[in-house]
Amino acid sequence: MLSAFKSIPTHMDYKGQKLAEQIFQGIILVSAVIGFIYGLFIQQFGWTVYIMLAGFTVSCFLTLPPWPMYRKNALKWQPAVPEASGENRDKPQEKKKKHK
Amino acid sequence: MNTVLSRANSLFAFSLSVMAALTFGCFITTAFKDRSIPVDIHVSKVMIKNVDDFTGPRERSDLGFVTFDISANLQPIFDWNVKELFLYLTAEYSTKSNALNQVVLWDKIVLRGDNTKLNLKDVKSKYYFFDDGNGLRANKNITLTLSWNVVPNAGILPLVMGSGHKSMAFPETYETSKSY
Repeated sequence: MLSAFKSIPTHMDYKGQKLAEQIFQGIILVSAVIGFIYGLFIQQFGWTVYIMLAGFTVSCFLTLPPWPMYRKNALKWQPAVPEASGENRDKPQEKKKKHK
Repeated sequence: MNTVLSRANSLFAFSLSVMAALTFGCFITTAFKDRSIPVDIHVSKVMIKNVDDFTGPRERSDLGFVTFDISANLQPIFDWNVKELFLYLTAEYSTKSNALNQVVLWDKIVLRGDNTKLNLKDVKSKYYFFDDGNGLRANKNITLTLSWNVVPNAGILPLVMGSGHKSMAFPETYETSKSY
């Protein structure tokens, strides 16, 4: 059964990963601020935690599955060089983008 | 961040850090609050006996019996950082052998959400009011104060004394009958 899980593709490209990270950080920070202010207003810390958990669940849904919006910038790999004996193989050049 | 597990790890760790910051914020908003309120204590019945004391070094010690009323409004103390209050009534006095004696006579736990108006009448002491010796008889100045320990969600646990105390005196003679 585990092989079935492992065969589901879950990758995102680099820009998609950066977008996913920004999305979940933004959602959680916003829900934290809203939760803090609401909890301070009604003087119950439980509500702050509930709002944070709601933000966590929303960002789980938005960023954990590999939605198509995270796969828009696919990596451009070099075309494969045909192998011949004695010839050096070129390493494919990856576009490495620095993300946070 | 290429796999689901890696993203989930990152997300969860970030959420926990933000939760820790929120908890610190909760602590900071209530850290410097004054948690003292006025308290009203009345004493209705006072009696003293001289009984066998198996807990101390001597044969017989003074045992006091106090019946009291307490009224206080605890609502201002409860804020979003208070989980419960541990109230206790202390009797403080001095005798010839000890300069300062403090005895806890009664306590109560008030949880968040419980009724915060404390209006107790004719309460007997929960714990024995034993003296270390025989210094209660004819002791003119025994001060009863209500204090509480604030148990927070996050932060330190302060011990606060209520403003308002009651001074009482014990009678001159011991009670010999079996009443209480």
